[in-house]
Amino acid sequence: MRYEEFKNLVVQAAEKAGLTDYELYYSASESTEIETFRREVDKFSSSAEGGVCFRALVNGQMGYASTEDLSAEEAEAIVARAQENAAVLESAEEQFLGEGGGQYETFEKKEYPLPETDALIKAALHGQELAYAVDPRVTDGTSTVVMRMKQSVAIFNSRGLDLSAENQASLCYIAAVVKDGEEMNDEYKIKAGPIDEWKQEELAEKAVKAALAKMGAKAAPTGSYPVVFAPDAMSALLMTFSPAFSAEAAQKGLSQLAGKEGTKIAADCVTLVDDPFHKDSLMPMPFDAEGMPTRRKNVIENGTLTTLLHNLKTAKVAGVPTTGNASKRGYAGSVQISPFSFVLAPGQMSEEELLAKAGSGVYIDTLNGTHAGADPISGDFSLQSLGFMIEDGKKTRPVKDFTVAGNFFDLLQHVEAVADNAEMESFGMTNFGSPSVMVSGLSVAGE
Amino acid sequence: MISRKLCERVLAAAASTGADYAELFAEKTFNRSVNMLDDKVQTVGDNVVAGVGIRVFKGLRSVAASTVDTSEEGLIRCALQAAQALGEGKAEISIVLKERRFGDIHPIKLVPGSESLSRKTDILKSAYFAARKADDAIVQVDASLLDVDHNILVANSDGIYAEDRQIRTRLYITAVADKGQGTQTGSTGPGARKGLEFFEEDVDPAAAGKEAARQALVMAGAGYCPAGVMPVVIDNGFGGVIFHEACGHSLEASSVAYGVSQFAGKLGQQIANEKVSAVDDGTIPNAWGSINFDDEGTPSHRNVLIEKGILKGYMIDKYGGRRMGMAPTGNARRQNYSFVTTSRMTNTFILDGEDKNEDIIASVEYGLYAKDMGGGSVNPATGGFNFAVKEGYMIRNGKVCEPVRGASLVGTGSEILMKIDMVGQNLRRAQGMCGSSSGSIPTDVGQPMIRVSSITVGGR
Repeated sequence: MRYEEFKNLVVQAAEKAGLTDYELYYSASESTEIETFRREVDKFSSSAEGGVCFRALVNGQMGYASTEDLSAEEAEAIVARAQENAAVLESAEEQFLGEGGGQYETFEKKEYPLPETDALIKAALHGQELAYAVDPRVTDGTSTVVMRMKQSVAIFNSRGLDLSAENQASLCYIAAVVKDGEEMNDEYKIKAGPIDEWKQEELAEKAVKAALAKMGAKAAPTGSYPVVFAPDAMSALLMTFSPAFSAEAAQKGLSQLAGKEGTKIAADCVTLVDDPFHKDSLMPMPFDAEGMPTRRKNVIENGTLTTLLHNLKTAKVAGVPTTGNASKRGYAGSVQISPFSFVLAPGQMSEEELLAKAGSGVYIDTLNGTHAGADPISGDFSLQSLGFMIEDGKKTRPVKDFTVAGNFFDLLQHVEAVADNAEMESFGMTNFGSPSVMVSGLSVAGE
Repeated sequence: MISRKLCERVLAAAASTGADYAELFAEKTFNRSVNMLDDKVQTVGDNVVAGVGIRVFKGLRSVAASTVDTSEEGLIRCALQAAQALGEGKAEISIVLKERRFGDIHPIKLVPGSESLSRKTDILKSAYFAARKADDAIVQVDASLLDVDHNILVANSDGIYAEDRQIRTRLYITAVADKGQGTQTGSTGPGARKGLEFFEEDVDPAAAGKEAARQALVMAGAGYCPAGVMPVVIDNGFGGVIFHEACGHSLEASSVAYGVSQFAGKLGQQIANEKVSAVDDGTIPNAWGSINFDDEGTPSHRNVLIEKGILKGYMIDKYGGRRMGMAPTGNARRQNYSFVTTSRMTNTFILDGEDKNEDIIASVEYGLYAKDMGGGSVNPATGGFNFAVKEGYMIRNGKVCEPVRGASLVGTGSEILMKIDMVGQNLRRAQGMCGSSSGSIPTDVGQPMIRVSSITVGGR
């Protein structure tokens, strides 16, 4: 059954049950992915997914029920289940359904045709040829992955909201594995956009060279140093600690940023932007998961926290308008809060100038285990890292098997400089981006 | 779910361009959760996942397609899409399916889907308030009760047509404590392939709540862990995450078959200290990571991975097995129909050794005692791993001393396995969700207390 037909059946069931405040959220995606091994296509996969979330206000509580089974029985069943689920809820908070309204921003979107399957296969094989050609140490396990995907979202509710949006993208990912004797290293590079802009040669070369640069890495010496975080590493930190910027977390006592609006929380050179329409986002969105208009805003401006991120519920509690940051993890999730594209604004210095300013220290380009070694509530982190020593203001020998430890909220205060080399990686609804950033005095544990 | 005859027609369509193997995986899964925060039941999650994944192989070429359209027309369309992606050719195999009853060694007494929501909220509240009221320094608690009813059907050109119903239940409690030196969390997450009887027979929800609070309170009073290289004693239960990350992932066919594992080509060789023996056992009745048969229809096994330090086996799915020239081991798993099945762990743990736990602690002059571990990750190609210590204490002169916060352990799998030089006798398993290319799946980790002679401890 098509969604439109299913929607009508759900609306009938909801009206029959006497519900006056309800909403349907639908999201669907289609994707095709091709992976390679050696010089052949190894795996081909395609998927078509989609599901519906129904929620309704019952005696002041918001009951949810979701399904991927778009059948007539299920249309009635989710309405009944949402009511049953609402009956055990005890939330003291006022619940909201969006009425939409206001201005939905129109923004420029990169529209391009998605590559056909044959073109994808050709590109995947070509990526492998290019990667193996860069260096004789490139070995098995090296893989070129190419993808095309489409995603659509629709929201319909009893308050008159009826919105939909669709995005599509294609991308290429080259993961290089290099081997020298017993030592193996890997690194990947990714490029999203039209197939003729993938620059696969450059991508292959960058991935292989980055993997080779790690050869011979030893543990970094233990101590306290200035640290330069490369764009990927700083983006990983922003991703890990982004829950602290949620007003929901703040209102529940789960964020150090509660009540800090209008105060200095970071060094002057720090400006953090949430941009739903970022040019490199694969999923730019004019409305959030409650159907409210989204907008670009500085969350930290020259070191001052200007706002937390809100949905309708937290905004009401705080007595401010929503920032349009309602989000859902998949179609089935409850409405929460997250940024769209969370990006640290670039500074004036080149990365070389940043390294020169650091003098001696550690350059970190990879942080691992952020889901385990970091606590978004306290801000404490202790993370496995890879990178290079900085000596006489330049990157020198590669280092591995060490951790960098500190506290994210202290780190924001101790950002010494921000470079001009902003990069963003985009994989879905939420993206994180940053230039290279220099931070004074972090603990490094190695040998 | 889908009749045997229809499966035969779908598989015949999938194999119509010359596949030498065709497979259909169908599921209907009921995921439910109840969450409490701020002393109130805040959300009830309720989601039905339903769809079909079809896969075909021809030699070393693999094609997968999935769909939510489970009508006959939708299934045939999905099968033909897979067939076309495989290339051009004629049907080479005939499809004859025979129903199998592999049996179910996981009895369920209280099927969560037929119990009332209020029975679930009672369990949850018991855990929640035990944590909340443990101490004035507990400032917040977040607790969830999850239950999953995962109905699967596997049909493949080896003739298998089999269904299974996997019911799992888990309580997860996070307590937040603040003693004026910043907040710290403590958590516990017991689960099983059981119904709600799990909370009557095995786990007292209130005791689980108190345990989360105890850990948060200890850590809220702790100073930072000093950094450096030192001996580390890792206790049982979730401590087994060290083996899961440092070794388990690198023994999965998904890395071994491609040569991107430190342990590829090392069967029969010593890869760990001779005190270390480890297994992956998907056959433990009612265990969180157990399966009757895997997502390709291979019955679950108890696989010896390491015996007295010698590498004995890998965890292998059908496709990885083709690349490796080895038989599948009952480890093919996927989160759901939309993920492509690959080799994964079930219940993976280090077996009891011969050292006494008190001797292990007493042997350390200066080091770290990791009583409980958090999650971690590994890069199988380099073996580089990391994991977080959730509850740690310093050891001085053979005695456990003050608690320390913020520690993490990093190193390389092949090196750390050789350095496990003492293995105790209190094997216990603990539950986790393991994420990898085929999605997030339930797995048990486990071990007795072990000593690692030296490892890099990240702290400050």
